[in-house]
Amino acid sequence: MNRALFSGQRVPRDLLVLPTEEYYRRRYRGSRRGRWLLFVVTVLAVVLAAVGARAEEGAAAGSGGVTLNDVEAGDLLFAGGGEGRYLPAVHLASKAQVSVRGLVAEVTLKQEFANRSDQWREAVYALPLPENAAVAGLEIRVGERRIVGKVREREKAQQIYKAARKAGKRAALLEQQRPNLFTNKVANIAPGETVQVQVRYLQPVRYDGGTFSLRLPTTLTPRYIPGEVIPDAQTELAADSSGWALPTDRVPDAHKITPFMWIPPVESTLGGSAKLPGAAPGRFMQPAAERSAGGSHRISIDVELDGGLPLADISSPYHAIDFDKRSDGRYAVRLKHGSAVMDRDFALQWRPRTSAMPRAALFTQKSPQAGDGDEASTYLQLLLLPPDAGRNVRRLPREVVYVIDTSGSMGGNSIRQAKESLLLALSRLQPGDRFNVIEFNSDTRAFFPRPVAAEKQHIQHARDRVEGLRASGGTEMAPALRLALSQQLPGDNSLVRQVVFITDGAVGNERALFELIHGQLQQARLFTVGIGSAPNGHFMRKAAQFGRGASITIGDLGEVQEQMQALFAKLENPLVTDLQLTWPRGLKVDAYPKRLPDLYRGEPVQLVARIDGGSLKGEVALRGRLAGRQFRRSLLLKESGDGSGRGIGSVWARARIESLRDRQLEVGEHSEAGRELRQQILQLALDHQLASPYTSFVAVEEEVVRPRGEGVSKSPVPNAVARGQVLQTQAYPPTAAGLYAQLLTAAGLLGLAGLLCRGRLLKGRLLRRLRELLRRVVPDPRRARRPLERGLVRGH
Amino acid sequence: MLRGTLFAACLLAGLWQLGGAAWLLAKAELAQYLIAAAWEEKLSSGESVEPWPWADTRPVAKLQLADREPLMVLAGGSGQALAFGPGMLPASGEPGEARTTAIAAHRDTHFTGLDQLQPGAPIRLQDGRGRWHHYRVMETRVVNSERERLPVFAEPGLLLVTCYPFGAVDPGGPLRYLVYAEYLPGGPPVQL
Repeated sequence: MNRALFSGQRVPRDLLVLPTEEYYRRRYRGSRRGRWLLFVVTVLAVVLAAVGARAEEGAAAGSGGVTLNDVEAGDLLFAGGGEGRYLPAVHLASKAQVSVRGLVAEVTLKQEFANRSDQWREAVYALPLPENAAVAGLEIRVGERRIVGKVREREKAQQIYKAARKAGKRAALLEQQRPNLFTNKVANIAPGETVQVQVRYLQPVRYDGGTFSLRLPTTLTPRYIPGEVIPDAQTELAADSSGWALPTDRVPDAHKITPFMWIPPVESTLGGSAKLPGAAPGRFMQPAAERSAGGSHRISIDVELDGGLPLADISSPYHAIDFDKRSDGRYAVRLKHGSAVMDRDFALQWRPRTSAMPRAALFTQKSPQAGDGDEASTYLQLLLLPPDAGRNVRRLPREVVYVIDTSGSMGGNSIRQAKESLLLALSRLQPGDRFNVIEFNSDTRAFFPRPVAAEKQHIQHARDRVEGLRASGGTEMAPALRLALSQQLPGDNSLVRQVVFITDGAVGNERALFELIHGQLQQARLFTVGIGSAPNGHFMRKAAQFGRGASITIGDLGEVQEQMQALFAKLENPLVTDLQLTWPRGLKVDAYPKRLPDLYRGEPVQLVARIDGGSLKGEVALRGRLAGRQFRRSLLLKESGDGSGRGIGSVWARARIESLRDRQLEVGEHSEAGRELRQQILQLALDHQLASPYTSFVAVEEEVVRPRGEGVSKSPVPNAVARGQVLQTQAYPPTAAGLYAQLLTAAGLLGLAGLLCRGRLLKGRLLRRLRELLRRVVPDPRRARRPLERGLVRGH
Repeated sequence: MLRGTLFAACLLAGLWQLGGAAWLLAKAELAQYLIAAAWEEKLSSGESVEPWPWADTRPVAKLQLADREPLMVLAGGSGQALAFGPGMLPASGEPGEARTTAIAAHRDTHFTGLDQLQPGAPIRLQDGRGRWHHYRVMETRVVNSERERLPVFAEPGLLLVTCYPFGAVDPGGPLRYLVYAEYLPGGPPVQL
């Protein structure tokens, strides 16, 4: 994969795990044993291949329409009607403008939907967004005209949109399906027209281990949908289907979160970079239509960094970037090649100089509207770093259960990253620890019935099995989680209990899983390791939150070492516990997260609050406990000027919605308390004009543009297949009974039997024939008569 | 001695394979007759009839490709269903519904010679109520099933899926041969 390295090598070479000789020896051990087998298999394979190749030739020639080119080609989209050309009807181009101020990133995502067909279209696009994005704006732009969207209750927004679509007005609807997945619909795009949709959202910046980071997903990994298909859903669906899955009893909105996938062409601009074998879709798999359609699904990204700190390093693990420092101290970052295919998350990391490493930060924003009383309320965002325990801490014995996802969505690079991470984690075990490994796809298998002592032979056994893991099948996560959380014998609290969950999180029933984790966690702590180019960030973060653990993301094989080191630091170092924040008297504070979680090494206290009842003064004090010692930190409260706290209000409202949703999970969504919470969320989202599970953005143009007689057809805009991933085969059934193989084997075996029966006779006859043949063809020098032949003989 | 054992083993295994192949073909042919009978009964009585007492699948449509023998289409794309007849995949829509109808079958039994279907060829599909739906072949295409999903869309249409290449020996290959036929809403209604 392509990595941007411009501020020195980020991973020292000696830290990289390179395969040793021992590794290769182990890998190719036993090859001598298999040499005979290999020989037999090769002979068989050659015969089969010869027959297969001949058959293939015949088929290709016979069908007439299929050329070699077509065999290489593959295209996902059938344009509706028309001449039956397989072209993507709606073309997509994206541009993200990110502006980071303080601890909030404000992102304006501009997406252009270009109708390349000669019919009126409705574009339906599954829009992946960061899992903690507060979506605060929607706008449509057609040429010079600008239509601003408003937040309405979900059902109402749908009605407004449908009415506008029917009436022939331009309209857009943005619905939340998951906190990190939205559906964007744009109705009545004229033939040849381009409609731009602008989505504006705010997102808190992450700070961990001295590095700020920001993630911008551009596509998604297809989610696995567990459960039984609801039988009568099919008829209802027909009118509104944009997904490949049908609603099931466990994921009733499956069709909304399963967009069609599309394989983007290989980026030619990065041609010089080394590619892992099989990493990107090879040239041979490149869809032909896309070669000509070209340029769809590309994103350009511009970031303006105004952290107020001198930076030591800006980097992006998955993209090549350029940046320069401007005279006002801000940094401007952009993609090196202008744009990139939307097939992987964009991540940006920046690290302040060691001398300027922040210990605390405070940003405030005055509420635009007056608060409850006379005074306006203030929104506040706070970052406080607890003390570091230092290096000499006693390492407690641990019991770790590693859970590795080997479902089909992990195919390709993901499974390699997952295996590499797991092997690294196994090598990190110490005598006195206990461990177990659970592998799951459609079924769950534990390597050992119970956690075993981390002895050499157990670890070796686990390593051998891990190396043999392959990705296929479904993602039945619930049984695996249940098994992992029930591994400890009751009453045994002598060990620190940890569950490390390595997955891409590609499931549709996230909330049911959070409920499971919440209910069954007991003393354990759950850590998630997000794998792949487009992991489900929502699952990763919330599972770790409910599991009272932490989360890391690995998007590239080169990142395994660095990210796993960060995880080990969290697993092995003492926690900061019993955190409590004391606010000055007289202030009414509504802060989120409601209860401060325990912190792992490198993590700061991060919260957003709304403050009523007085101006900001005094100081806020943080108390906690680390490695058996009490500590106290305080920070002077004061207002930050110069608009550096813009957007905190939205971030606060978003955090409050999340907190209410979490409570809803505990009381049940359809209980009375759950409905009350729904009402609160709805009101909050309407007040702050945010998208939420119960509110959507809708924008409608007054003017009717589509002529009466013409219809509008729906065009699902596919999402790009995440880089390095293999699409699952589940959609296509196996459609060969293997008749030819059977017949061929039968013929071969019977022939062999015949040969064995009459072998000796046959051999004799064959030899005789051969001798006769040779006699006839090869001239006999003894009986040479012709002059020329005689000459030849003499010459010898 | 060794030779004798080997001979016997080869002969037995060979006969077993041959028998297996014959059984596959017989099953595919015979089941179609039984299912066709059950289908006719269902159309006349209106009730779902199982083709044989222990059947784990049921007919959902009748498919006629150009002027060939009609094929009975079963529900689901599982291996059991496909052994007896073409299967209507679970993700697809009913005939005539605004969702692509996708039907898959084995290239070596029911969909032998699917590659001879040229663009323009007519296809008929009878639904559970006896109505015939008409389609016209628009395009054929080879796709790699490891990289793509079934293109099912919110429009009526028919998608036939089988393995590719047709004569290949290996049954587990990733390539699929697709035939896409557009729906003809004004097709002549044929009464039974």
